[in-house]
Amino acid sequence: MVVSQILFEIVSYSAVMLLIVVGLAIVVNMMGIFNFAHGEFVLTGAYVHWVMVGQGISPVLAILAAPVAVGLLGAGLEMTVVRWFYRAPVAAMFGTYAVGQIVREAIRWATGGVYHSVPEPLTGTVALLGASMPVWRLVIIACAVSMVVASLLVLNRTHVGLRARAALENPLLARASGMSTSRIYTATFALSAALAGLAGALIVPIYSLSGDLGLRFLIQSFLAVLLGGADLIAGAMAGAGVVGALNTTMPWVVSPAFAEILLVVIALTIIRTKPAGLVNRGVN
Amino acid sequence: MNGARKTGISRRAFVTRSAAAIGAVATGAESWTVRPAMAAGDPVKIGIATDVTGFLGFAGVADANVARLAVDRLNAAGGLNGRPVELYIEDTASDESAAVAAARKLIGQDKVDVVIGGILSSTRNAMKDIIVGRGKGLYIYPQLYEGGECTPYVYCTGPTPAQQCDPLIPWLIENGGKRFALPAANFLWPRKLNEYARKKIEEHGGEVVFEEYHTPDQIEFGATVSRIMAEKADVVFNTISPPGVSTFFKQLHQAGFNTNGGRLCCAYYDENTLGLNQPEEIEGLATCLDYFRAVSDEDPVSAGIQQAYDAAFPGGALMSAGSAATGVYRGVMLWAEAVKVAGTTERDAVAAALDTARIEESPGGAAAMIPGTRHCAMPMYIAEARAGAYEIRARSDAALAPGECG
Repeated sequence: MVVSQILFEIVSYSAVMLLIVVGLAIVVNMMGIFNFAHGEFVLTGAYVHWVMVGQGISPVLAILAAPVAVGLLGAGLEMTVVRWFYRAPVAAMFGTYAVGQIVREAIRWATGGVYHSVPEPLTGTVALLGASMPVWRLVIIACAVSMVVASLLVLNRTHVGLRARAALENPLLARASGMSTSRIYTATFALSAALAGLAGALIVPIYSLSGDLGLRFLIQSFLAVLLGGADLIAGAMAGAGVVGALNTTMPWVVSPAFAEILLVVIALTIIRTKPAGLVNRGVN
Repeated sequence: MNGARKTGISRRAFVTRSAAAIGAVATGAESWTVRPAMAAGDPVKIGIATDVTGFLGFAGVADANVARLAVDRLNAAGGLNGRPVELYIEDTASDESAAVAAARKLIGQDKVDVVIGGILSSTRNAMKDIIVGRGKGLYIYPQLYEGGECTPYVYCTGPTPAQQCDPLIPWLIENGGKRFALPAANFLWPRKLNEYARKKIEEHGGEVVFEEYHTPDQIEFGATVSRIMAEKADVVFNTISPPGVSTFFKQLHQAGFNTNGGRLCCAYYDENTLGLNQPEEIEGLATCLDYFRAVSDEDPVSAGIQQAYDAAFPGGALMSAGSAATGVYRGVMLWAEAVKVAGTTERDAVAAALDTARIEESPGGAAAMIPGTRHCAMPMYIAEARAGAYEIRARSDAALAPGECG
């Protein structure tokens, strides 16, 4: 019984991580930008959800609107700020961190600096195989699975996906072949932001809305991306799975205060021994 | 192809550099001065050092507001010993180094007669020596805390573990049960509070079946919840801090703790923290503080202060006990009483008068310093969350003793 509960919690938290990490992995791997504002895109999605539900709008519409709004924000930021940093990845960390801080403090101001609870659109729990599973967490798992399937289909079956893979595997050749990398970069950054916005809108009911919502996931998401490696979907899944499993199981074994440190130590050890990530097809 | 080749930096270099990026968060502090309209005489100066910005901003803004309200009231009543009262507010920005700078400015540049403020104990420890040691001033710390602050010239006007736990623990045993779980945040206040609570729990025939300490940024609490449920705890005496506490309470609710008759309790919960969860997730949550908004329904003095605050600062930070706002009000007024009795703002004369100072009017009721302890006796209330608001369930018969430094 305890085992099935732990398994459910591993899957549940890995799904949360996966939703957040896919967008980040896209930007890190395709654009070479360590986007420190990614957590704030998650936060903005959560904020959109909270505002719309507060206006009496259905949560389904709010969850659909969040990625659109955050995607537009991402596109705007790419065109005005981020694109000046492509040649200087270290400066890009500081640049995106500054952008993130502006967004964070703006939302902190807009929410009055206090915490807000967002109701779960579907409440209740399902008892299955001896585990108690909150319905909204099951929805999040379903969304994460759908996102993986959709991403694989787009990347492998569509023209856009082909271009994206080309740009990922050899940006120079892609540019030489006449692909507009600047437009691809704007679209990629916007897509990453939109996915983060969707993640934020989906997860805010199980956490709570405050300016620091995104910041809490930032370090663990970067660990997941670094663990996962350059394969967009498989890498993100592996990274999110490892971080999710470590996060959920370690408090059973060691004291929770120590578990956080141990998580980072284990993750860094894996990164040290496999610097290219867990999933790396070894292209080039 | 791997990430390192595309980005020009290796994953390992990223890890070291990103640490620097996160450390580079600059915070700028701000200052305000509130000068009274009355012109006569050399002003008496009160300094407020509190967290107006940063993650504690919701509390710090309320603390600054309530100080403005108290100083307005002093000036409306003719000032102190015929002198106007000036208020100097410095932002400590939820950050210890900002707190040090703020204390230095208030003492060295503004030359205030007293400094009131600090929410976290770490802020108090960062500021107190600057104020009472090198600064030769008086310092009043207004927040509920772990106890043990017995430095001369440092005064505490917030509740201590004794004031919170002495009434709360027997009430919880009667209205919850004997098996206590103590999930906690891993810093000083929860450890000291739990130490005291455990003593009280055992004194009253209860037992602690679970005690665990968590880092502030823990996100998921599935393991904690499962173990509390497995231990069949009757009462969860929580000190896990926001924002993690919202997920913890939600997971506990979803595991059926509340619906199976479990009693939630959180010693720092006030009106500000109610918004962390949906009302049904924390239905029945009990807490013990020196003031709740519901107290103003039964106490005209509290009602007067609450209405004046709401009129002056509408729609903003709430005047609540857990954010130290009520402690700031007591601090300003007790110090003002001492200045009136001493007839001067000279440190040792005011300290001697403050040792026995008493005020009849403050949120929650009359408060008095216990001579020789630099801590404050005050009435305490036990409240329970019902449908998103607190209802008073019990009140102390008289002002409760702080039980510190005696």
